[in-house]
Amino acid sequence: MRRPSWLLRLFLGLPMIYLLAMIGVPIVYNLAMSVQEVTLGNIAAFARPFVGLDNFTDSLADPIFRRVLHNSVVFVLVNVAGQVGIGTIAAACFAGGFPGASTMRGLLLAAWILPGLVVGTVWKWMFATQFGVVNFVLSALGLIGTPVHWLSDPATSMTALNIAHIWFGIPFSMILVAAALTNIPGELYEAASLDGAGPLRRFRYITLPAIAPALFAVACLVAIASLRAFDVIFALTQGGPLNSTNVLPLLSYQASFQDFEFGRGAAIGSFAFVMVFGVALVYVRTLKSEQPA
Amino acid sequence: MHRRSLLKSAAALATLAVSRARAAEPKKIALWHIYARDFDMIHLGIKLFNEANNGYVIEPRLIPYVQINPELIRAIATDSPPDLVVINDPDIAGYSSQGQFLDLTDRVAKSARINASSFYKGPSTSDHWRGRRYAVAREMNALSLYINDDLFRAKGLDPEKPPATWAQVLAAAEKLTDPARRVFGFGFCAHQSEQSTFQFLPWLWQAGGGIDRLDQPEATAALQFWTDLVRNGFVSRDVINQQQSEVINTFLAGNTAFAVGGPWELPRFATEAKFQWRVAPLPVKDDKKIEASSLGGFHFAIPKGAKEVDGAFMVIEQMLDASIFPQGWNTGGILAPRSDIEIPSPNWPQAYKVFRTQMITATQRGPHPQWASLSKPLQQAIQEALTGSMKPAQALAAAAAKIKPVLAKTPL
Repeated sequence: MRRPSWLLRLFLGLPMIYLLAMIGVPIVYNLAMSVQEVTLGNIAAFARPFVGLDNFTDSLADPIFRRVLHNSVVFVLVNVAGQVGIGTIAAACFAGGFPGASTMRGLLLAAWILPGLVVGTVWKWMFATQFGVVNFVLSALGLIGTPVHWLSDPATSMTALNIAHIWFGIPFSMILVAAALTNIPGELYEAASLDGAGPLRRFRYITLPAIAPALFAVACLVAIASLRAFDVIFALTQGGPLNSTNVLPLLSYQASFQDFEFGRGAAIGSFAFVMVFGVALVYVRTLKSEQPA
Repeated sequence: MHRRSLLKSAAALATLAVSRARAAEPKKIALWHIYARDFDMIHLGIKLFNEANNGYVIEPRLIPYVQINPELIRAIATDSPPDLVVINDPDIAGYSSQGQFLDLTDRVAKSARINASSFYKGPSTSDHWRGRRYAVAREMNALSLYINDDLFRAKGLDPEKPPATWAQVLAAAEKLTDPARRVFGFGFCAHQSEQSTFQFLPWLWQAGGGIDRLDQPEATAALQFWTDLVRNGFVSRDVINQQQSEVINTFLAGNTAFAVGGPWELPRFATEAKFQWRVAPLPVKDDKKIEASSLGGFHFAIPKGAKEVDGAFMVIEQMLDASIFPQGWNTGGILAPRSDIEIPSPNWPQAYKVFRTQMITATQRGPHPQWASLSKPLQQAIQEALTGSMKPAQALAAAAAKIKPVLAKTPL
């Protein structure tokens, strides 16, 4: 066996240094901050009062934090189900091919190209109680009697946010699933048709098993993106009313840059990091198992 | 050999030329501001300063409004602050109490161009922390009422006599509310952010209360008043998720008959208001007769570690010169923090008169280093009451309990 050459070491070393400097250092620095009392007065210094796990225990004791943690979990689960589910159905429909399918698919992508702040602002108009198009359509269809206070009622605001964010994310899932669909050999469908399988059964017994690993990977990516969601929420509600749409990244931002409590902000960020890291680990494992043996 | 010495002398010449050029080059002052609109008076101030050839030149950097604190904190943490920065009123104390802004007391006292006694009381109080001055107000604003004359007349109300007491506000709001035409009588901002605190404080003060006494009946009266307006449908419940500019959007669209707003909204009235309008002072509570409004506005501060402190202070002096404030008001609805400046023949003369008078009763928030820790419990109480999840007194008592330990540590 040949010993690794210096060139190999160099090419391995450079990305390692990059990863350590650009990702490792900030993570360690954030963890260090989360066990310190960091104020505007000492933020430039390295030696800051050590407070142990106070920032974490204070956060866990805070009802707002617990509510936001709960929101984050709900938000991620609903978004994964919604985005991947609808994205898969859309991809399957487009794969069927119909006149104008590729144009339609291109148009759908437009949603994904928009900046999150624009998406949030547009949905805020659409969800307006008296003048919003959502209530207008729902009441025209006779589905609601009185207008729904989508964004000004803590009971419905999370649903509104989920709808907006799922709409925003569908094209991403759709594209990845569409790519996976093209890998399924057409003969399988032909054979199944000859055996008398309808479209639903073909989808259930051929399509789904074939794209399952891809679906899982997409689900992980959507989960990570949802855990990092910030701009849509910032434009839509800024976490309100009553923190009913607040999530960990936004709460961390508010603690650091509105309350100037950087230690607490770092602790909240660490909770979010652990969640993202967990999903990322699962994602990396699925990528490995996807590779041909 | 010959070639090498030629190169050497060329290099020497080049160094000389560069150092000469440097000596003549003015020193750069890094100014961070938030004014994206090119008609804002800061751009006039920058132009005048840079044309004065005083040995300095301003290098402005535009930072979006919501990013100014994160950017400044990042700069402080990495020890690379700008020479001069604009900062929002309630945030000053957080920095100055921690020694992150330079003490400007002596410079202002010695300045030939700034007369400290000419400042209104509100902005001057915001600039100070424990008796020392750490910032200089650039501008100020306060809240008043915007009135839609046409809607008032349509309902038989006289816009010449706008609501001046709480009882009149309630009566007018009820009369002006017209669900068939999708018109709400009244509007204010109850957004979950500093904006709702800013908008609620005048009512709290008019009732005789204060943010340090939220468990008192005066505070309850103020929040009960807001709650009744929303619960009765005279104010749209959507104000819970509307920022101040969005409340004024509904006013400009003719869907809100009168609304609370600041003078910074005026520039868009010319093109967007398709009706006759006017500005009226905020009302008083019938039994208390206390006039009050919230004070807002941005201030100049020199961060600790700034390189060109002398130059930065010269910029502050330039920006407070009477010559730039006519543009400030006429294009941006910005009022001078100096009571001795009155703009000749201003745009929107009626609004100018009302807002300028409102300044006298405008009170600053805090100053307090943890202002957000006082403001956020109040925001929550407002939203609890308006959504009906708690009674006003109950919500305010919860807020007072959260505020108490913060004030015990650092009093107002």
